Amino acid sequence: MVLVWLLAIPLVGSILALASGDRGAKFVAVGLSLVEIVAFIVLLAHGPVTLNAPWIPDWGVRFHLGADGLSMFLIGLTTVMTTMALFASSPAYPKSYFFWILFLEFGMVGVFESLDLMLFYVFWEVILIPIFFLLTGYTGSHGRATAMKWLIMNLVGSLFMLIGIIAVAVLHAQPFGTLTFEINQLTHVPMSAAVAPWIFASFFLAFAIKAPLWPFHGWMPDSYSEAPAPVTALLSGVMSKAGIYGFLRIMLPIFMPQMRHYQTGLLILAAIGLVYGAFMALRQKDMKMAAAYASLSHMGMMALGVFSLTEAGILGATFLMVAHGLIIGGLFVVLGFTEERTKTRDIAAMGGLNDDAPRLAVYFLFFALAALGLPGLPGFTGEYLIIQGLVAHDMVFAVIAGVVLVVAAWYMIRLFQGVMQSVRQGPKIFDLSAAQVGYIGTLALLVVLLGVWPAGITSHAAPTLYHAVHLLATKGGAAS
Amino acid sequence: MQGVAEIVLLPLFGAITIGMFKGIMPKKLPGVWASLLVGISFLISIAQVLKLSRLPVHHRFLTGTAFAWITGFGPAIHWRYYLDPLSGLWLLVITGVGMLIHIYSIGYMHDDAQKARYFSYLNFFVFSMLLLVLAGNLLVLLIGWALVGLASYLLIGFWYQRPSAVRAAKKAFVMNTVGDVGILLGLALLYIHYHTVSYPGLFQIFDHQSPTAFFEWTAFLLYLGAMAKSAQFPLHMWLADAMEGPTPVSALIHAATMVTAGVYLMARLYPLLRIAPDIAYLVAAIGAFTAIFAASIAIFQRDIKKVLAYSTLSQLGYMFLGVGVGAYTAGVFHFMTHAFFKALLFLAAGSVIHALAGEQDLNHMGGLWRKMPWTTWSFLAGTLAISGIPPFSGYFSKEAILGEAFNLGHPFLWAVGAITAGLTTFYMFRLFFLAFFGRPRNQKLYDHAHEAPWVMTVPVVILAVLATFGGFLKGWLNQWLAPVFALYAGASHAGLESGPLWTTGVTVGLAVIAFIVAYMLYIRKQTPVNAASEHGIGQWAYHAWYMDAVWTAVAVVPFKKIGNAVMQAETGILATVKGIGTVVWDWSQDLRPLQTGYVRRYALSMMVGVGAILVYYLIRV
Repeated sequence: MVLVWLLAIPLVGSILALASGDRGAKFVAVGLSLVEIVAFIVLLAHGPVTLNAPWIPDWGVRFHLGADGLSMFLIGLTTVMTTMALFASSPAYPKSYFFWILFLEFGMVGVFESLDLMLFYVFWEVILIPIFFLLTGYTGSHGRATAMKWLIMNLVGSLFMLIGIIAVAVLHAQPFGTLTFEINQLTHVPMSAAVAPWIFASFFLAFAIKAPLWPFHGWMPDSYSEAPAPVTALLSGVMSKAGIYGFLRIMLPIFMPQMRHYQTGLLILAAIGLVYGAFMALRQKDMKMAAAYASLSHMGMMALGVFSLTEAGILGATFLMVAHGLIIGGLFVVLGFTEERTKTRDIAAMGGLNDDAPRLAVYFLFFALAALGLPGLPGFTGEYLIIQGLVAHDMVFAVIAGVVLVVAAWYMIRLFQGVMQSVRQGPKIFDLSAAQVGYIGTLALLVVLLGVWPAGITSHAAPTLYHAVHLLATKGGAAS
Repeated sequence: MQGVAEIVLLPLFGAITIGMFKGIMPKKLPGVWASLLVGISFLISIAQVLKLSRLPVHHRFLTGTAFAWITGFGPAIHWRYYLDPLSGLWLLVITGVGMLIHIYSIGYMHDDAQKARYFSYLNFFVFSMLLLVLAGNLLVLLIGWALVGLASYLLIGFWYQRPSAVRAAKKAFVMNTVGDVGILLGLALLYIHYHTVSYPGLFQIFDHQSPTAFFEWTAFLLYLGAMAKSAQFPLHMWLADAMEGPTPVSALIHAATMVTAGVYLMARLYPLLRIAPDIAYLVAAIGAFTAIFAASIAIFQRDIKKVLAYSTLSQLGYMFLGVGVGAYTAGVFHFMTHAFFKALLFLAAGSVIHALAGEQDLNHMGGLWRKMPWTTWSFLAGTLAISGIPPFSGYFSKEAILGEAFNLGHPFLWAVGAITAGLTTFYMFRLFFLAFFGRPRNQKLYDHAHEAPWVMTVPVVILAVLATFGGFLKGWLNQWLAPVFALYAGASHAGLESGPLWTTGVTVGLAVIAFIVAYMLYIRKQTPVNAASEHGIGQWAYHAWYMDAVWTAVAVVPFKKIGNAVMQAETGILATVKGIGTVVWDWSQDLRPLQTGYVRRYALSMMVGVGAILVYYLIRV
């Protein structure tokens, strides 16, 4: 039941925000997003839960929702980051803006809750719409072009996935007789060598574009840098996780033989993205672009964890999804604070902001350190686990990941120092308000908690992941 | 947790309270509060060490688990502590010397508007360092390892308006990350094979192993961490630049404690070094090389802190030499005496800099002994100690390292160490004479110079006493550390031994000759400060043998090239996307009426559909 509430609250909230007009929209949206967090806490207290009912019986499509160790914390991430984004927003057209943000939350929760491929696909498409309108309406002069780029790339990906979904279900129906789209029943789909790579590719493409993984990130630089910072926080912090989640939730169970077959290629692809994003981040002049490419690099890290097909790597990717969501989301919120005050994103035009805004500097540094994977903070936990998995599989990739950690330290410190240190030349700026400290501080505390006690997540995620790796083992995967 | 948690958490509490309430705290409170908390931590440490000393010799350690770090799936690692005589010694030095430096800082930072931030960072450093040495497994160690690096970064860049400080801080952070990654990979390798990273767990396994390439690699990766943190060649440059931080920071972090973390790690991992003999030798060889290399640079420096920075590098080299050849107690002994005399030297130098309104260049010093008697004679005690003149503390520890290196069959390493001892005496007395004797070279600064306030001189004098008499702790230390090195195989020569008498004669003789040369050059002949470093080999050495340029060529330039290539590739990718986009856009123009209507209807129908289903289930269930 709580699963339905988690969907209903943001959906109803979005309509209420629309109805309450420009003045009250933010108040209503924030209020309902807090209620959504309460609903998540109820879910957390309740533990894993599913809901399975017929939806379109003729096609075997079921309204199958669930929250387990893998998805539960991603739902939590969605609720927390949505609230953060709402707090941090002061848009030009509040009514529709808050409507779309809550609608996006609805879609994201739906993606993470779906256990039926068709339902998953519906929610996958649902999230395109709010993001399209948020990019069109609220992103400066290039808004329309940015939004079109985003929409076209993602539509291409998801349409191929739709074909893939139907193909998988049909192939499964041939020997078993019944048509079903439920993920947990599609684990033994007989696929001939001729069609398997194509079906595999159709899913892979959709997830790789969404994450995004290199070289499918063409939509990312514009969207991340042009969108309002809270929207970028949601894109990079929450929406990007849908891609990695797809690998874990759908591709591991259904395509394990293919995953193993293409493992080296997949690892190389992920490693290129990891290195590529890091070096791009090092060279950016625009602070949001630097964070955007850092995020691309991190997505490569998560993909490495998944593709290592080891316990540690998969656990690391699962954990890093949540940790990275909070961290990169927080970083973009802080970058938003900075841009709002300096009216620029150019690193060279800033510097020395620490003088006027010491509190902003503290949070800037905190999220930068978390993003570069400082041991003791949760980004490190995920990266450690992934590297642990890579060491088990192939030391070369572990060493590459290690070198990138050094580059990450370099680009994040460069970003922080460029914006905050040295001598200030521009006009005086204001420090964070008490309210801003309130919500960004809460997020920082949550990040610290996850860093000190990652077991809070890893021990809960274990049963679900056991299941995934059990499949891995029974199909001859390299579980270690 | 039996009191161990308090030792670590009190300074953290200090850092947080000062950080949060610095706006409403009275101006003097942060310094007093920070010092007090480290002081309490020191007292609890003494109590813990006393408790430890009452345990039976073959079981002299305290260990325990606070809570799980990760569990459930994949690796299982806990927050674990491990207190034995080795970590106990570090504990006492960190909190004891740390407390003195906190107190000294109250005077040194008196006029700084940002001093609350300073004390918050300083307490955070003590917390991180204590976490590092009390860690019961490699993972908790790594967390402490990285956090001391962060504290060091924050304090090097404390005066962040100075571009040079910002650059130095960045360099320190990035170079230390190289070391962190080394430890990370090393511990991952160990976990894969043995499913534990806790010290007792690993060491019991190592006890039954013989040397293999696997252990050499693992030891190398862990040594990489030690190399970065303890500024061993070639990862040493950050330490000289780190002098951009306030001087008490140089004393605490970049001399007495943090930079010795590598020595701690290598001593802690002696069961691993036994089965990685090549790496053990590498540790010793790089240590010896760092010692003489840094000494050669120190001779030509003009900045009082730079001389001390390179002398720290050089002395760290000695410690690694000791640990690498297996003279574990000697290496640790030198850590202790070095903590006393180098903290003393830095704090005394800080008093000089304080008295000269921030001037650090020896060209502006001279004759200060008349103005600052306490500082001068304390500095002399430190100089004698580092020079290894008996019976000052440095003599005992340095002789223990060199003697044992000779005994264990490393005459070449011994010779390098002995020559370095001579160089050390020379550059330290050069520094001492140039700063405190001769004619004042800057009359204006000299006229305004004054002895430091008592809050600064008292810690300096206490350290001077320790630097003078600390060597007599030799017997006690040998006994105290023996249980640590008796627990596992690999430290048969850990105890203190002395070499043949003539070797001591040679090092002391070289020191005396070096002293005479320094006296002749800088007291008798009044040689100018810059004379030797303006041309020829002196110029090369003055510029630290241009290692910065080498690093730029070897690491920074290739990285920039990769960056350029990546930037070009990105242009290609974005152009491709744009090209495809344009094609699709042109094509869609034809369907424009359909398209615009389509997206909205799509949204609407989807919402209505899904909403209806939700409502249905909300009513039904």
